[in-house]
Amino acid sequence: MKPAPFDYCRPTTVAEAVEALNGTDSGRVLAGGQSLIPAMNFRLTDVSLLVDIGHVADLPGVDTDATGVTVGAAATQSRVLNDDAAARVVPGLRAALRHVGHLQIRNRGTVCGSIAHADPAAELPALAVATGAVIGITGPDGHRAVTASDFFLGPFWTALDDADVVTEIRFPAAPVGCVTSVDEISRRAGDFAVAGLVAIIEVDGGAVRSARLVGFGVGGAPTRLASAEAAIAGWAPDHPDRGLMEAAVEDTAGAFDDIHAAAWYRREAVATLLVRAARRALASGEAS
Amino acid sequence: MTIPEPVSEADVEVTVNGRSHRHRVAARLLLSDYIRDTVGLTGTHLGCEHGYCGACTVIVDGDAVRSCLMLAVQADGAGIRTVEDLAPAGSGSLSPMQQSFHDNHALQCGFCTAGILMTLESVDPEDWNEPERITELLSGNLCRCTGYQNIVAAVARAWNSEGDGPERSR
Repeated sequence: MKPAPFDYCRPTTVAEAVEALNGTDSGRVLAGGQSLIPAMNFRLTDVSLLVDIGHVADLPGVDTDATGVTVGAAATQSRVLNDDAAARVVPGLRAALRHVGHLQIRNRGTVCGSIAHADPAAELPALAVATGAVIGITGPDGHRAVTASDFFLGPFWTALDDADVVTEIRFPAAPVGCVTSVDEISRRAGDFAVAGLVAIIEVDGGAVRSARLVGFGVGGAPTRLASAEAAIAGWAPDHPDRGLMEAAVEDTAGAFDDIHAAAWYRREAVATLLVRAARRALASGEAS
Repeated sequence: MTIPEPVSEADVEVTVNGRSHRHRVAARLLLSDYIRDTVGLTGTHLGCEHGYCGACTVIVDGDAVRSCLMLAVQADGAGIRTVEDLAPAGSGSLSPMQQSFHDNHALQCGFCTAGILMTLESVDPEDWNEPERITELLSGNLCRCTGYQNIVAAVARAWNSEGDGPERSR
C-alpha cells in the first residue's frame, strides 16, 4: 500500500502551479491529499507529477461577509468546521463538514479538494450545488468562475482541465427564512455516505414554501431532486409523506447498486431523509 | 522550502518528539514509513495504509493526522509528536491517559492504541468531554479487540479525574 514513484514540486504561487501542471500527461494537484494519497496508495490513480500547493502564498483564506463565505484552496475542513462566522452565514458548511471523514482526515483535507475530487458520495459537492456555490479556477488562460451545477459532470469528473487549479469556492449566504440540513446514512460515522441529502427549506408559517434539494450517493454527481422540490411546496406535517417520498424516488433513477446497498435502498433512504428534513425544518421554523 | 522544479527526491527537515532530523527522502515516501523506517520510531503502527483504521495517527503541528495519508516531503518544517513522546523514556511511568488505559483494560492486543492515544493527546478535553463526543472522537480509530467500552471508560476517567494525585508508577 505505497504509492508508485512520481515527481514532486512545491511552487509558491498559483501561476507556478499551473505552469508545472501544464504539459504533463498525468499531473495532479496535492492539497490535503486525503483522497488522492489513498488512491495513489491503492495504485488506482496514475500520477506522474504531484504539484503540492501547501506552500502557495497567493491563495485566499476563509473570508466571510453578510453575502457569503469564500473558502480558499488551502483551507482545511477542520478550519472551516470550527469557523463560527462561516457557520452563521452558510449553516450548511458546518452541517456538511460534521459528516466529512474523521477529525484526523478533516485536519488535513481541504474543502476545495473535496470539490475538485468530486466523489459522488461526498457531502461538499452536494452542498455546493444546493447553495449555488461558484468555483474559482485558475488555468493556463487565466482565472474563471464556474457555478457548481455546471462543475460536476460525473463520478470524479468535473469541468477542470489538466492544468487547472481550484483556487477558491464561494458559498452564497443562506436565504432568510430557510433551514439548512445535511443528513446521510453511512455505515460508520465519518465514512462516505450510502446516501445523503442536502435540504435548504424555506419555511412559511407551519408549511414549506419552497426548497432546494440535492441528493448525494444516488448518482454519478450531486443529484438535484426537481420533482421533490415541486412536491414539497405547501407541504405541512399533517400532509401524507407518500407524495414527497415518491417524488424523491422518481428523482433518483441514477442511483447504483454496490456492496453497501442496492439502488432501491439508496432511493428510499433519500426519500426518508427528505421527510425527516422537512419535519425538522418546520419544527425549528416554529421554534424561531 | 520551495521546490520549483519537479524532483524525485527532496530534503526533509522535521522535529520529531523534540529532536531535529534531516534526511533526503523519495518523494513517494509516506510520513508513516519515514517515522518508522528512517527515524526509527516504531511505536506508530501501520494498519490499513489507506486512511481507514487510524492506527498510524500522529500529531503534526498540533493536529492529529493519519501519517499514512501524508508524504514525508509534506511534513518538511513541521513538528511531529508520536506515542513515544507521551511518557518520558526510561522514567518507568505512563502518562495519565496511558495509565487510565492500563487501569481500565482499554487494550488487548494494543495495535490500535498508539493511534488512539495520539488522537486523544491532540484535543482539548473541554471540547470533547461528554460520552457522545468521546464516542465521536474515537470513531476515527478502529479497535478490533475491545468493543470500545473500556476505551470510552478509560478516556472518561482520565479526563474527569484530574488532580486526583500523582501519576502512578507502572
